[in-house]
Amino acid sequence: MNELIVIFIGMALINNFIIVRFLGLCPFFGVSKHIGSALSMGVAVTIVMTISALAAWLIEAYILIPFDIEYMYIVMFILVIATLVQIIELFIKKTNAQLYFAFGIYLPLITTNCAVLGITLINRVEGFSLSGSVVAALGAGAGFTLILAMMSGIREKLETANTPKSMRGLPVAFLIATLLGLAFSGFGGML
Amino acid sequence: MIPIGALIGIGFVAGLIIYLVYIKVPQKVKGLEKTEAINAILPGADCGACGKPGCFGYAQALAQDPGLITKTPCTLLQDPESLGNLEKALGITLDPSAMSKIALVHCNGNSETIYHYSGVATCKAAAQLLSGYRRCPYACLGLEDCLKVCPVDAIFIDPEKNLAVIDPEKCTGCGLCVAECPLNLIELVSADTKIAFLCNYKPLKSIPERERCEYACTHCRKCFKACEDEAIVWNKEKAVPEFIHEKCTRCGKCIEVCESNTLAEIKIEEKVLSHITKAPGEHCAVPKR
Repeated sequence: MNELIVIFIGMALINNFIIVRFLGLCPFFGVSKHIGSALSMGVAVTIVMTISALAAWLIEAYILIPFDIEYMYIVMFILVIATLVQIIELFIKKTNAQLYFAFGIYLPLITTNCAVLGITLINRVEGFSLSGSVVAALGAGAGFTLILAMMSGIREKLETANTPKSMRGLPVAFLIATLLGLAFSGFGGML
Repeated sequence: MIPIGALIGIGFVAGLIIYLVYIKVPQKVKGLEKTEAINAILPGADCGACGKPGCFGYAQALAQDPGLITKTPCTLLQDPESLGNLEKALGITLDPSAMSKIALVHCNGNSETIYHYSGVATCKAAAQLLSGYRRCPYACLGLEDCLKVCPVDAIFIDPEKNLAVIDPEKCTGCGLCVAECPLNLIELVSADTKIAFLCNYKPLKSIPERERCEYACTHCRKCFKACEDEAIVWNKEKAVPEFIHEKCTRCGKCIEVCESNTLAEIKIEEKVLSHITKAPGEHCAVPKR
């Protein structure tokens, strides 16, 4: 149990996907203008990450290793992630229209989100167990959502700030990302 | 063989699962069919020109309010076939002329200059002082506020009359200039408009009408009688004659009877097009006293 908590905190804060590992940067800048859509994106990515980590671990353990074709892992994982995103999109569309409209274009975009492929590859490299993989994915998703929410909160405030013209929009967002990164580097010595 | 087989196998299973989810999961959400049908017709470019987040957002809005297609038309959807499909999906008939709009400046005259304006060279600043430096409070000041916002450079300044004219060929009807004019002279009209009132003038009793401008509408109402299509009506709220562009057959009879040249064809003259815009500030006319 202790180990799982360590994995969760490690993935969420210390090795945060966006700030420390630089994964999933496209939604970090693309979907962080409003806190509502940022939270939706974070939740969607967390769900997809968790399910794909689970599926990737199963495929790794029951197909890749027994048949000795471990070198195919990237192709397999991409296939699994794309399928999962399609299934989840289809499922949400049929069962909960409100949620579907809230996600909008972001749901299909998760297919190409490197954070999702990242969690499956990191789980593989770290050699996590099944429960470890799922908790790691949950932690990574929580960290991703946290950063996205923080960033969108700051950027919403920035809309009203008197920013110099040349810095407006993306340039100042990059600067803020740097400062966020500095702050999160403080977690580095925690574990 | 094993890796190929495994990949094909997993791909097949994945496809099967998606198919099963598609077939077996019951469709609990109703009313999405129409949105889906509309979405299939839209270009799918997600350009955002309609002001909605992507084509799907536009399809959602259209499913709720089909009239939106004329208010904020899809600029990429122009071919008759797709428009016909959209008509069927929406259950309305589209008037192609209502789809595209052009902007029109409701001023055609050079009203007398009453003071020398030497302030900031924008219409917004000049309009603060006695509604501008011209005698008519509805006169175009020609200080290029609209020209600056035009994305397609369709607005020119007439060098003689010193007022803004819009090239109907170039204008895309985006409406940016409408919001810009401090005197509310610019209006969006349907793109096939040929004849229009080029005056926005409400007579105030204290000033005789003709004194203001040689192009001012005198409210003689001769055009009302001349028009056989009943396309010209009196707008009581604004106290100006109003042109119903849908009814107009462009016969030109109203232009013949109009004594003050208020009614005119919308066109842009060659000399205006070739005129090079002056430096900011030079438009401020010197009084002719």
